[in-house]
Amino acid sequence: MPSRIEYTFKIWNRKGHYYLGLYFLFFLWLFSFTGLLLNHGSWRFAEFWPNRKMSSTTSQIELPQAGTALDRARDAMRQLGISGEIEWTAAKPGSTLFEFRVNRPGHNFAVSLDPAQGRAVVEHTEINAWGVMRVLHAFTGVRAGDARNERDWIMTKLWAFSMDAVAAGMMLMIASGLYLWWGLRSKRVLGAIALALGSTVCGLLLAGVRWIS
Amino acid sequence: MGKRIYALNRDLHLYLGLFLSPFVLLFAVSVFYLVHVRAAEKSAPGLPRLVTGVPVKEELAQLTGLDQVRGLRPVLDHLGVQGEITFIRRIAKEHRLVIPVVVPGRETSVDLNLATGTASVTERRTGVVDAMIHLHKMPGPHNVAIRGNSAYMEYWRGLADVSAYGLLFLTLSGIYLWIGLRAERRVGIALLSLGAISFFGLVYAVSH
Repeated sequence: MPSRIEYTFKIWNRKGHYYLGLYFLFFLWLFSFTGLLLNHGSWRFAEFWPNRKMSSTTSQIELPQAGTALDRARDAMRQLGISGEIEWTAAKPGSTLFEFRVNRPGHNFAVSLDPAQGRAVVEHTEINAWGVMRVLHAFTGVRAGDARNERDWIMTKLWAFSMDAVAAGMMLMIASGLYLWWGLRSKRVLGAIALALGSTVCGLLLAGVRWIS
Repeated sequence: MGKRIYALNRDLHLYLGLFLSPFVLLFAVSVFYLVHVRAAEKSAPGLPRLVTGVPVKEELAQLTGLDQVRGLRPVLDHLGVQGEITFIRRIAKEHRLVIPVVVPGRETSVDLNLATGTASVTERRTGVVDAMIHLHKMPGPHNVAIRGNSAYMEYWRGLADVSAYGLLFLTLSGIYLWIGLRAERRVGIALLSLGAISFFGLVYAVSH
């Protein structure tokens, strides 16, 4: 006879499994579908780079002198009317230009500021919806091994948080799914075979690709 | 009939979900590495191993794309280097080809001199974290023409496909199962709507 706590847990575990799945449904569709797109870069229908639109504008702005590089870049972006995640690029040797990129899914701005002349050159690249979806799959604003670039745009932080939330949600769904399965006595043997098969294939794969090397 | 389809769908959802759970768990864990890991645990490159008498032909430099990759594979086998060729950099003036070769957790750089038939092979360990991030991102959108030139990448592509298609099936079968639960419809619709608002709102805010 299950205790009241166990019974309540069972009910809410079941509900939680549905609720998490329904809440994250659109995120899961995006990440699964874009996973396929990233896996098959040769799919013609989802091409985006050859169809990109490029434009370049030159304008005069008041270049801020004080503050950190981030402060100055933000000030310039405000004047230029662009927003997004700042990406620091390697400075060209001997150059006096202040250069950086601004990225957000669908748009990339290469900004080049000339402090001596107060001139800003912005090269804008725009990609289509397929490209936006692909970028969203890994839009984190940071890269392992790149200490210079920080997540500095609030929307990147929110998107990164949503990626975390989806991953945590998936883990919870796996845990709740395992608990649901264990409660079905008649399905335990076949379920154990499916789980063992999945674990074996996954383990062999990891060993095969020299993960553990 | 309806009950049989419902029962079949429930079993498929259960067994496929159990089969896929290790893969989904792997991808979910790697998301945290992708989003949060900043410091690289890559080791310093080891001392270069110099190999002479490498069976190379000058024509290798003239080939492009997958043809060049195929032409280089026996050379890499001769050097004992295995993995995915990420790209090939040609230094025409010096008759050299620089070829980074990757397996998750290890990077090997092969500097091949076509004129002298010599090669310098440098290896370094990149660690488990890098391996996780690498696998999550691969095959990826870059160098599509040559991507999947190693057995492991093709194997990985297949399994990533199985995970993605499987997850799509699980979401659809999950919706079907939920629709069958009349008592959960109102809360389910509310959560589905909330999820849609969060998702489309975020996507709009990030991309506009």
